[in-house]
Parts: sequence; C-alpha cells; structure tokens
Amino acid sequence: MRQNAGLMLRDGTTLDDLVRRDTNEVALRVMTDEELYRLELDRLFAKTWLLLGHESEIPEPGDFIVRDMAEDNVIVTRDRDGKIHVSLNVCSHRGMRVCLGEAGNKMVHQCIYHGWAFRPNGDFIGAPVEKEKMHGNDVAKSSLNLRKARVHLYGGLIFATWNIDGPSFDDYLGDSKYYMDQLFCRTDSGLELLGPPQRFVLPCNWKIPSEQSASDGFHTLTLHRSLMESGIMGGMSETIYEQAPGMYGVDVGCVQGHSLRCLEAEKTFKIFADIPFEGKSVEERLQLLTPPGITKEMIPELFKNLSADQVEQLATFPPQVGGLFPNVLIVFIFAPRADGGASGALTLHAYVPKGPDKVEFVNYIFAEKDAPEQMKRDMLQNAIQQTGTSGMIEQDDADVWPVIMRNARGSASRDRTLKYQALHGHERPEGWKGGGLLYPGFTKDDTQWNWWLAYYDLMATA
Amino acid sequence: MSWTTKPTASPDATTIIRGLVSKLRVPLGSPVYNRILETLYDEAAMLDERRFDDWVAMLSPDLIYQAPIRLTRTGPNRDRDVVRTMFHFDEDYASILQRTGRLQKSAWAEDPPSRCRRFITNVRVGQCERAGDYDVISYLYLERSRGDNPENEQLTAERRDVWRDVAGDYKLVQREIIIDQSVLAMSNLAIFL
Repeated sequence: MRQNAGLMLRDGTTLDDLVRRDTNEVALRVMTDEELYRLELDRLFAKTWLLLGHESEIPEPGDFIVRDMAEDNVIVTRDRDGKIHVSLNVCSHRGMRVCLGEAGNKMVHQCIYHGWAFRPNGDFIGAPVEKEKMHGNDVAKSSLNLRKARVHLYGGLIFATWNIDGPSFDDYLGDSKYYMDQLFCRTDSGLELLGPPQRFVLPCNWKIPSEQSASDGFHTLTLHRSLMESGIMGGMSETIYEQAPGMYGVDVGCVQGHSLRCLEAEKTFKIFADIPFEGKSVEERLQLLTPPGITKEMIPELFKNLSADQVEQLATFPPQVGGLFPNVLIVFIFAPRADGGASGALTLHAYVPKGPDKVEFVNYIFAEKDAPEQMKRDMLQNAIQQTGTSGMIEQDDADVWPVIMRNARGSASRDRTLKYQALHGHERPEGWKGGGLLYPGFTKDDTQWNWWLAYYDLMATA
Repeated sequence: MSWTTKPTASPDATTIIRGLVSKLRVPLGSPVYNRILETLYDEAAMLDERRFDDWVAMLSPDLIYQAPIRLTRTGPNRDRDVVRTMFHFDEDYASILQRTGRLQKSAWAEDPPSRCRRFITNVRVGQCERAGDYDVISYLYLERSRGDNPENEQLTAERRDVWRDVAGDYKLVQREIIIDQSVLAMSNLAIFL
C-alpha cells in the first residue's frame, strides 16, 4: 500500500525544498544528489511505465532483445504463442546476468555460471544434473522464475512496468492518449523500427534531457538557431527572433506529465509552398501537407483508424514534438531537407538513467511499415542526419546537458534553481476538440512545470 | 551500399566482412602505399585542425560515408555484430557540405570547438578491380577534449575506405567506419571520423 510519506534526505532537505510548488522553481541539487537518485529508482522508475522497444524488432518466436528499465537489465522476448514477455536479466541463483547478448533468437536462456535454464517467458526450467536437484532440495521451480514485469503494447511499442497492480497504461496516458493515438495508432500496419537503436552515453543526470523533452519549445529557437538560420523552418536568419518560426501553436499537457506541441499545419506548409489552407476540407489539407511518414495512399487509413476529430487535428494542428513522462522524447517532424525534399523523421528517444551523473540516450528511428522502401531509406537517413548521435539538431543539446551537470556540483551552485515562470495557463482554444491541459499561443513553461508536478507526486509516495 | 529493413533480433544473413576486399595487396613501403598513407595523415591533420574546406576538397562528389552500429551477439552469430540497418553517420557529399557549413557558421555545437587528435595506424591497401581505385583499411584512435574538462572522450574504430586516384591526388569515394562500441562513450559525433 503506497503511503504519501513525503520525502526527506539525510540532511533534512525535503521534497518541497527541492521542487518548490509555490514559486515554480527546482533546486539544481536534484541533478547531482545520490540519495535522491536512489529514491528515484525506487519511487519513480519502479512504479511507472517504461519504453523498451518495438515489437517489430522481435517478430519470430524465440526472438529477443536486451534493454534497460532504468538500471534493471531485462530480456524482452516473444514466446511460441506470439506473446511478448519482459524478464529481469538477473539469475535467480547467484545474480549473474543470464543473457549476455543484445539481440538474437533462443528458446532457452541458460546462465553460464551454474547452467540454470529459463524459457523465453522467464520460467525456470531446471539446473543441470536434474536428479541432483541443484536448484534446492524442496524448492518449487516456480519460485525460481526470473522476475517478470507487466507488459503493454501500444502501437506496437513495448512498454513495461514493475508496478504490477499500478495504473493501467491507458490511465498512465490519461488525456494525452487522444493525441498520442494520432502518432502511434493511425495506420493499418502501424510503425516499424528501421534498425536497432543508436545508443550513447552523456555525462549528465537523466532529468536534464527529460525535463527538456516535456515540450521545451523555446530552446529550439535559441539553442538550435542553426536550424532556424538555415531557413528550413521558414523565416529568414535575420528575423528569427521576430518571426519566431515554430514557436506558435498549441501545447497540450496532462497531469501525468506527458505533453505534445501541436503546430499549425498551414504555417508549416508555407515552408514548402504558398497555397492557402482556408476553405479546404480535411481531406484536401491532408493531400497538401501529409503528416510525416504517411504517404498519400495511406490517408484513407487515417480515417479508418482514428476518429473524425483526430484526423481533423492531424490536418490542422498535428502534434510534432513532445514527451512521455518520465524520460521519452517524441520527434515526429516534417524535417524538410536542404535539397527541397520532405521525407520527415519519426523518432523516439529514451533517456535511461545510469547513475546520478550519466544517462544513456537511446534513439529509436521509425517509419510506417507500409511505406515504400525508398521512403523508409530517406527517413532513416534524414533521422540520422538530424537526430541522435551525429544529428545536426541534437549535437547542440549534447553540448549543453553535460555542462549543466558540471555546474550543479558546487556549494553555491546547488541551491540555484531551474525556473518555470513564463506561463500561459490552461485555456481552451475555440473549436478545439481534444482534452488535456491546453496552452495556445507562444510555447511557454507550462508543460515542463506539469512534468515536475508529476515527478513530485511519484517522489512524495513511498 | 544497399540497405533493407530487418528486425533487430534477426541474425544478419550477410557475409562477415574481414580485412581487405581486394586480393591484390599494395605492399607496405611501395610508392602508391606511401602516397595513400600520406593522404591519410594529411586528412587527419585537416580534421584535427578543423580545416573543413580542405577536407571537403579531398572528397569525391559520389561519396558515401557511413558508420553502422554494433550489437553484441553470442553463439553462432557472434561475428555478425556489425549491423548495417542502422548507422551513426549516413552521409553523402551534400550532407557533408551541410554539416561543415553549419559548423563554420551558426551551430552552437563545437563552439568552443573540441580539441581532437586522430592517430591513424595499421594501414593496409589493396587494388580494386576498377583501375586507380584502392581499398584502404586504417585504424583510428581519437582523443577528444572539450572546454576545461580534464577527462577526454576516446574512441577507436576501423575505417574501410575506397580512395580514387584523380589526376595524381587521392579522393575519398567511400568510407565505412566500424566503431568498437555498441554503446558509444561520446556525448555526440559532432566531429568526423
């Protein structure tokens, strides 16, 4: 039974000292404190839904990938019946890692230490020399299964949680589901991962990229100014702070901490051609500006898989960037190319904690499964050139995050605060069909503050 | 190089590539070997010194420049660990121009710039079927320093190149960079390998 016990660190610091709900500030200390980090692993990462990959990575029985739920390494498998299982990669005998590869196909996972064997679903089969009962004289085999996580598939995305009796995945998504469906559940065959994710480690706390992924729109204008100055977002390099391309739209949040930035399709379209949208039907708008990754042939599938309101949203204010609490960035962007093409890029980033001072950036690159091969190839290339390891957009972020981390260590530095005081306040735009907390206009700090409130709620509960 | 999607868990059915593709070795110490080696040293200096225009001048307009990811594999597929469905770099001449242009103008990344030192060793050269084209394998050791951080980032890789003799100078036609990690210990690849 979870009790709201608050949080107090050894030196008497409370959660309210760290996350100041009266002034919308967060002490920089949260990025370095080791005690707080251990509490995050228990109170946050062990209690919420975490992204592990996509089912297209493991199509055959016995296929497996090995991923991390925070600092817990897990084996993600498909069994003979086609069901997906997530099992802790810690041998129930003496703690050795059972599966040593990162991907492959096995119907039996055998620990190299004492030979204990497990099925893809985590069930313990037995130890070698069966008659000697090396698993224990009177110990039931079922008590020696690998620890199993609760699994949910959403648009083929594999999510898992250790919180077996906790909120359902739909409850976790809350009001954001209406918008997330427009990205992940809109075509007949769904998304496909184009290859294993890029993985690299940055020397910073997981919350530095994660709080930014709660729809920090403003930094796109400033940190990623080269994107703006190249003209590919519309506007000209001399006027980016006047026109502020990409800054106006509707930010959508929810109490669970997820968010999405919905940018006006008509404004985005102006980058490609000067045809006004006014008076055009939803279908006509989609023909002019098809969502990234969708071909014109797939447009009828949108009407089939989504509600009429959701399709209208895709045609008028499509969600493009945002985040899933606690640590996923969503990037489903038009990403116009310098050569005039518009292949789009569909990526998800997971920021996996690896200690209070390190985070592993896992970059998943997608295309729609039914897209033509050439489109998938273009999208792969576009995503690699813009995001992740060598991505031209995200190189800039990698120069900021580790420096904030080094800045957070000093005695005078730790009490400095992150500030979320540029606020719009919830306001429903006229004719807006979706739910959630709505922030129309210039992108401000509201959704990021919601992220910290969701963090506060979980961290306050033991 | 052709590409097609494949699930992560599928064993890569392609041949395991080891060593030079070409069977015709260009011996160490021969005039062609020496000139190619010198070209590689010049290239490393251009990148270390951030003379991007000089570097771009040694690239062929039909350049393909890729760095496939690695996946740790066990058992019968343990040598099939270079996975060519996903890359850290997936470039052509135009995208390299875009990258170098950006770094010299308005990017915040690399301002201040990294101080890099590239060590090129273990160079092997073979003659391609097309006259004047050479298979070149080299090892890369890179140290990278940022700002006032006394801890450098490091990287080792094998580069599998094709260099073309164009009127006496060598141009890079193709590079595949096989980095020796599945999870990179580098905050980004805003530098060229």
